[in-house]
Amino acid sequence: MAALLRHLRIWLASIRYSLVRAMMFRGDFIMWALVELFWMSVNVLLVGIIYDHTDSIAGWSKYEMLLLVGTTLLVQRLLMAFFWSNLFELGRNVRSGTFDFFLAQPGWPLFMVSTRKFDLDGLVNVPVALAIVIYAAHRLQLDPSAAQLVVYALLVLCGLVLHYATLLTIISLVFWLQSAKGIEGGYFGLTEFSRLPREALRGVAQVVFVYALPVVVVSNVPARLLIHGFEPGMLAWMLGVTVFWLTVAVSVFHAGLRRYSSASS
Amino acid sequence: MSALAKYRQVFLTGIQTSLVYRWNFAIRATFSLLHLVYIFILWGAAYAGQSEIGGFPLAATLTYFVVLLILQFFLSAANDDYEISEEIRNGLINQFLTKPINYFAYRLSIYFSARIVTGVLSLLPFVFILPFIGPKLALPAGDHLTLYALAVPALLLSAFIQFTIAYCFGMLTFWFLEIQSFIILSLAVEAVLGGQIFPLDLMPPWLYQLSSWLPYYYQIYFPTALLTGRITDPSVALQGLAIQAAWAVLLFLLARMLWTRGLRRHTAVGG
Repeated sequence: MAALLRHLRIWLASIRYSLVRAMMFRGDFIMWALVELFWMSVNVLLVGIIYDHTDSIAGWSKYEMLLLVGTTLLVQRLLMAFFWSNLFELGRNVRSGTFDFFLAQPGWPLFMVSTRKFDLDGLVNVPVALAIVIYAAHRLQLDPSAAQLVVYALLVLCGLVLHYATLLTIISLVFWLQSAKGIEGGYFGLTEFSRLPREALRGVAQVVFVYALPVVVVSNVPARLLIHGFEPGMLAWMLGVTVFWLTVAVSVFHAGLRRYSSASS
Repeated sequence: MSALAKYRQVFLTGIQTSLVYRWNFAIRATFSLLHLVYIFILWGAAYAGQSEIGGFPLAATLTYFVVLLILQFFLSAANDDYEISEEIRNGLINQFLTKPINYFAYRLSIYFSARIVTGVLSLLPFVFILPFIGPKLALPAGDHLTLYALAVPALLLSAFIQFTIAYCFGMLTFWFLEIQSFIILSLAVEAVLGGQIFPLDLMPPWLYQLSSWLPYYYQIYFPTALLTGRITDPSVALQGLAIQAAWAVLLFLLARMLWTRGLRRHTAVGG
């Protein structure tokens, strides 16, 4: 427990340091916030363009789809704020040998690697993603109960853990490869599926992306909770895959860590 | 002739350097297949219950995305802006200032070598999946030879525009410490107005017209549209080619201006 509190204090200190740094480079912070905002708009625009030409995608109406996309964006913004830069740099640090620096720190290596930086530009767009979800829910005339909202928040948190686990597993491949160049593309390739309704996937795609990998369930379960109410089976499924994939990611990272032999001279 | 030999050598060295990262390119290309699966599922679901969207059948839209993805590997200046930025920041460009080497031509040679390696390697996973996706694709029907012929200069100009835009972003390092955010913002604009997210002709007509006057349209959408039958009128194709050539010249002049002005601010330190 004491160790947990100590690590929490380290995390808070890292966040405080990152906030000071963001305020020192304000122009940069504004620019990155705009970049993320623009990418979010691109996703919303795609929904708008497709629904200009069709009424339904796999039985999902325009605003149901917008709610799904908004939920995905919400989870992704949280990932960008807390973990993206850290894990992205992990790939480069392992190659350059700077990773030694994290191993020498007085903390759990995975924790130190994952929490060193905090990106305020990711966090400032969380309200934008939330606004998309609220707007879509309003257009669908949804009236979720307080319990539904609490469970939705919990599921978004599970989604964040799942995205983190996916990214960590992919980036950890750098321990086996010579370079991390381009492998983060695997994360974007996989998370694209979280913007698809589960019903759109059939056959092999359904087996792979719905059941074997957690990329569809991550957004569909929270979105369905708001649209269709409680589905206990879905909630249990989401919690189960979250625990499972986090275990896989941590195991892959530690297997890589055992392989790491430093790159510096 | 000796000038050409110089850049030929840079090109050959560039090929060797790129081949060092062959596994990363292969992995990237394999991951891009995931994007293709996503596209097939999304658009397949959008077409359910209707034979056409925007006047095109599903097969034409899927072919558009497949060709676009392959062309991206052959044309996209994915890393050149960062590399140029690094060379300016680390002072590596100093060596070019005292040698009879044109930095733009040097970087262009590297761009072509990297694109050939990336492009060819990216074809491997596509060859593997072609038997599965082939029946879902359709090339333009009828006599399309004129448009295929026009696609050749369009592709070369696209490559030049892609590189020159990346080069201009790299040049911004003379003025800004960090250019990554500019690049990512530009990539986002390019993704939309370059037709990577959806075929541009699905946009409202006024927006499509507007986009056809911007350089992003000519980065990849224009040659893809010529190859996949989204542009069928030769006069429209010729007009597009003229605008594309004009953008290539304008961007080249901008690149030269940024280089000249940037060098005035540049300080070479160290031995």
